[in-house]
Amino acid sequence: MTTQNPDNLSSNKNEPIGFISGGGLEANLQVRLTVPAQSVQSGAFVVMDSGYWRFYGLVTDLQLGAIDPQYANQLNIHRFDPALASILNKQTLFTNLAVMPALMLEIGPEPGAPEYSQWRSALSMEPTPMPVKTVPDHHTPVRLADKGDIEDIFGKESKTVFRVGETREQGHAVCLDLEKFVQRSSGIFGTTGSGKSFLARMILAGLIHADKASTLIFDMHNEYGIDSTSSDTGAAVPGLKGKFSSKVRLVGLGADSSFHGRQPDFTLEIAHSDITPDDVLLLAKTLNLTDASGILLDALQTRYRENWFSTFMDMKSGEGAVYTDEDGKQRPTEDSVAAWANEVGAHVGSAEALHRKLRALLSRGYLVKEPASKALDQIINNLQEGRHVVLSFGNYEKDIDYLLVTNLITRKIREAWEKATADFHSKKGNEPRPLVVVVEEAHKLLNREMASQTIFSTIAREMRKYYVTLLIIDQRPSQIYDEVMSQLGTRIAASLGDEDDINAVLSGLPGRGGLRGMLAKLQPKEEVLMLGWGVPMPIPIRSRRYDQFFWDELLGDSNKAKTKEDALRMMGF
Amino acid sequence: MNEIKTIPIGKLLRADNRQFVAGCRVKELDTPALGALVKVRLQDQSEVYGLITRISISDDGLVRQLASGMSIPPEYAADNRHNRNLPVEIEVLTLGFAQDGKLYHQLPPRPPLSLDALYLCDDAELVRFTGHGKYAYLRHILRLQDMPVEEILVSHLAKARQAHEAAGNHDWYPQACEQLVILLREDYPRLTTVLDALSAME
Repeated sequence: MTTQNPDNLSSNKNEPIGFISGGGLEANLQVRLTVPAQSVQSGAFVVMDSGYWRFYGLVTDLQLGAIDPQYANQLNIHRFDPALASILNKQTLFTNLAVMPALMLEIGPEPGAPEYSQWRSALSMEPTPMPVKTVPDHHTPVRLADKGDIEDIFGKESKTVFRVGETREQGHAVCLDLEKFVQRSSGIFGTTGSGKSFLARMILAGLIHADKASTLIFDMHNEYGIDSTSSDTGAAVPGLKGKFSSKVRLVGLGADSSFHGRQPDFTLEIAHSDITPDDVLLLAKTLNLTDASGILLDALQTRYRENWFSTFMDMKSGEGAVYTDEDGKQRPTEDSVAAWANEVGAHVGSAEALHRKLRALLSRGYLVKEPASKALDQIINNLQEGRHVVLSFGNYEKDIDYLLVTNLITRKIREAWEKATADFHSKKGNEPRPLVVVVEEAHKLLNREMASQTIFSTIAREMRKYYVTLLIIDQRPSQIYDEVMSQLGTRIAASLGDEDDINAVLSGLPGRGGLRGMLAKLQPKEEVLMLGWGVPMPIPIRSRRYDQFFWDELLGDSNKAKTKEDALRMMGF
Repeated sequence: MNEIKTIPIGKLLRADNRQFVAGCRVKELDTPALGALVKVRLQDQSEVYGLITRISISDDGLVRQLASGMSIPPEYAADNRHNRNLPVEIEVLTLGFAQDGKLYHQLPPRPPLSLDALYLCDDAELVRFTGHGKYAYLRHILRLQDMPVEEILVSHLAKARQAHEAAGNHDWYPQACEQLVILLREDYPRLTTVLDALSAME
């Protein structure tokens, strides 16, 4: 929400579409429509000037009404002369709008009126839009918001104010203040095929272009970094690396990663010593670990410190781990799991089972004893220097890879940013660079079960103070722990079919009733609803298209395709 | 006020602010009609406008005798009709008045007096009176009790429409209908009866 100078406020030139006929703050405002019903849609952004105030609201419903139901229950045109019937219909049948009032702004008397300068000089500060606390008068004219109104509320497009789309009726640009957007965790939701990934790409492009925060993108399906092909249309989809070559670091997981011929900037290998028992416990379900595993893992770490994993994995078990002593008894060899278990007083069977199950991790090619480079530190350095990192999972697309790697890296990030923030507060360092961690398939990390164990719920809740926020991209918001959902500042929702998912997106927001209907009726691939703390008020919009024009607009002429053929190829022809 | 050019059709029998009754001879009866606009000029030169809502012919003793007779020679019947003692009664609903050259769709301050002459308004005057203001005079008609309001309305609207359209104003009638709908829309049965009658007139 921007501070308004009343002198610069737009004066709406749109013709009124109706007038206030009743309602209130709790229930919606009732507006009697004076234009054909089809000229207004649910979700329309409307403006009402009443007294010294301008009210902003959202049409949440349209209802057909009649002075007496009998006028509606018969076809008047069949009974009366057509001209009379049309007069009768006009005077007895009508449409009411339900308008959810959202914001109000003090605008004062008409600029130019004698009392205006008096009012102006009495202002202690510039009025800003605030949540509605009163209602416009009866018969206040209601107008569709024009370009200026929308800019007054959502800001004017600039490097840091990103145009997400246009209003559905009149096509006025609706923007998102990215500086505000990154201050709290946020989410982009939508079912498969709703245009969620394209929307995420555009927002990420906007974030990278705005350069106000670093982004770390966990690219589970290799969608964001490299150029790919649309699963629906087969058109080429440019990736972020290609467009922001110098700003974006493409990191591949595992030494052997490459993506359709494009080499990553560097590859990420994780040292065994970076794995903690907590990381492993996170995989308890995937690895089918028992409750006793926690105690065993703690014992291992206490004994061997950061080398616990490699040491444990080096221990022997099974047939090679026993020898026959002088008395002819079978005994575990010194370097066996059983020997260690006996030593620490653990159950041998449990220890051997844990050993067996953890071997599954050894097959993950990115987990190595001695990584060739310190890629993990490099990622953190890049992010702190203001670059953006896309970590592509390449061929490691299993849940176990995603859970382990995202959690491990994010834990490192948390440590680094907490330290940087502490240094900044004790005046030993610069202000930390804000960081947005982008998590796809977030329900895998943030579901009810996992949320308490992974680092991500902590980030969603607390890391705002340490300049780290999450951007969650998911198709099943209902699967995400509500504690986390309620922390999400900005929510951008594309079409969602499931009732539970719709409720989850709206959790903790006022005026849910009207928004629910709006959310359920979004057109896939075309429309999204922006809501939450990061936007002054909820608004459904027609989202921008992710195509060559998007890039031309965002990056300017330098990005223009060289020839017409190039352009066509980019668009998939 | 200019000299009255229109045709006198009777003389006032009785009056109050809301309505008045004029008597006329049977010979004169081909002029007045249900729903026609009429006026009376008062002594102070103001004029009271009204709408003919009822025309009645009452009986007297002689008519009763004649009616009960076996057969009536035609000259007897004609004589009785033309030279009867009781006049034909024309009931008029007051719609407004004119004073100092200004029209008002309100009840006049004073009613006309007995034996004042009743005149039929011509088309120009009909256009002038009904085209004045925003159809406020219709409310007087709708207030009528125990009268076939819709019939009176239809007769009036048909005459007025013709006069307005002849004068080139084609908006008058639809706007009058709209006004009627607005006035009557809270009363579904009554409005539909009026609209049925208007539709039948088309």
